[in-house]
Amino acid sequence: MQTNSRLRKIWADKTLYVMLLPAAAFFSVFHIWPILEMRLAFYEYRILGDHVYVGFKYFKELFGTPIFSQVLANTLIISAMKMFLIFPLPILFALMLNELVNGKFRKAVQIISYLPHFLSWVVIAGIWFEFLSKSNGIVNDVLRLFGFPAHDFLTDKTAIRWVLVASEAWRNIGWDSIIFLAAILGINKSLYEAAYVDGANRWHMITRIILPHLYVPMVTVLILNVGFIMNAGLDQVLNFTNASVNSKIDIIDTYVYRVGLINGQYSFATTANLFKSAIGVALVLSTHFISKKLTSKGAW
Amino acid sequence: MAVRNFTVSKFVIGLLLAFISLTMLVPILNLFAKAFSDPSKVHLLHGYDIWPKGFSIVHFQVVLGNPIVGRSLFNSLFITIVGTALSLFFTTITAYVLTRKHLIGKTPIMVVLIVIMIFEPGIVQEYMVVKDLHLLDNLWSMVLYRTINVYYLIIMMRFIEEIPDALLEAAKMDGAGHLTIFARIVLPLSRIPLLTIGMFYAVVRWNEFFKSSIFLSSRDNTVLQVLLRQFVVEGDSATLVGAANLLVNNPIAQLDFGALKAATIVVAMVPILMLYPVILKYYTNGVMDGGIKE
Repeated sequence: MQTNSRLRKIWADKTLYVMLLPAAAFFSVFHIWPILEMRLAFYEYRILGDHVYVGFKYFKELFGTPIFSQVLANTLIISAMKMFLIFPLPILFALMLNELVNGKFRKAVQIISYLPHFLSWVVIAGIWFEFLSKSNGIVNDVLRLFGFPAHDFLTDKTAIRWVLVASEAWRNIGWDSIIFLAAILGINKSLYEAAYVDGANRWHMITRIILPHLYVPMVTVLILNVGFIMNAGLDQVLNFTNASVNSKIDIIDTYVYRVGLINGQYSFATTANLFKSAIGVALVLSTHFISKKLTSKGAW
Repeated sequence: MAVRNFTVSKFVIGLLLAFISLTMLVPILNLFAKAFSDPSKVHLLHGYDIWPKGFSIVHFQVVLGNPIVGRSLFNSLFITIVGTALSLFFTTITAYVLTRKHLIGKTPIMVVLIVIMIFEPGIVQEYMVVKDLHLLDNLWSMVLYRTINVYYLIIMMRFIEEIPDALLEAAKMDGAGHLTIFARIVLPLSRIPLLTIGMFYAVVRWNEFFKSSIFLSSRDNTVLQVLLRQFVVEGDSATLVGAANLLVNNPIAQLDFGALKAATIVVAMVPILMLYPVILKYYTNGVMDGGIKE
């Protein structure tokens, strides 16, 4: 009886379920199928015939591989550098934008600073290679102007991670400031007036009124960033890397790509990939619930 | 307001913001300047120059006249345009279904969507799937790959939820089915989110390069970003100038490789620059005008 009425309801809505079919097909083919195929991490790959179950053999191998430890360390270091060094910049940027009196100048700064977010990493690499060019780049022109020797940052092992952090900041400082600027602009104007009557100066208003209003977006952004710590920026690394510096910025994603698709060690690469995805899921889920608890805003 | 008087600190803030903006604007304009400069004067250009020395479109003629670049440009446009259209249509129709109340099975579907959103499939497996579908080295692999983005789907659902029920109910009373309601009411009312999400899909598709480099292996099916990486990162001047041109020491071989690269980057940026005003208008509306309506 119960199932019958349920089925009848589904039948009445059959058009809806038909409309859902394309999405079901896309997600099954490009998400669920490859995710299920990742069980290869527990099997030895065979071109012909069935793959052979080997349990945790590849995981043991993976954790015994020195390069993987290095790659994992690189991933975490680059992510952490980006997360903590870049995090305050969009907030400062939004605070500074809010101080601008001239509306036209403010709009111009916004239009220019949001743009890099929409450029591909290939294009950004092209721009930054010129920027940092030893012969005629702006940065080295300035260094020479002050009497310093020109320096090739892109092939310098100690500098390359900073180049990644700087170019990431350059790309996102404007765009990431939007959420904070929106929070600032949403503050009720009467709060400022009341504070002014009480004799508060501009600095008091920033620290006592604006910053407390930025608490929620700050916590949300910071926590949710932790969820993506295993993604150090594949597209960026692929475009900024070269033989001299690769050991410093070789991350899990580039490692999986190299070992799996170039060297053809499918099972081993899948193991590294599964390790990354699993930690990623655990982090995103836990940060989502922590953020939800603290700020009532989660990842979705 | 008296507290917003002009002060030294505001002047310093203005300078700082101007400086940050210039680090973004100058390198981009510099690429344009280089690409449009007279070939004989390109070497005079400094990194801070934003105006071409002399004027010439010869770099663009060479770049766009290169059949490999032309082919990749066509491929990128095809994937971006067809892909974005498919993405928009299927994202919206899925969002419509998932926002119907009393839809049986909605909760498990949403759970699966969240799993899809946070669980990254393996690179090797994605490659194998495309291979098993016989879509390797076929532009359709990139058109169909990740057609629906779950984030954008959820944004679209939030929007459709805002459409007043009365409107849809009235149509239902008139005997309209779900397909009619979707096509006649939901789609026309969703113009702004469609534009906004469409811009984001288009930007992602245009800028995509890692998966294209894996799925599309032959020269005929290369996309612009992958080719651009070959020029910019790998410094492959032979392909850019054309091997034939290199051999017969003709004027094209004498051109400045940097200027040719700049012209290619400009070509890759132009569609983004064309979409950019629309993105600003619809996405950052409140923030741009200095007030958020609550």
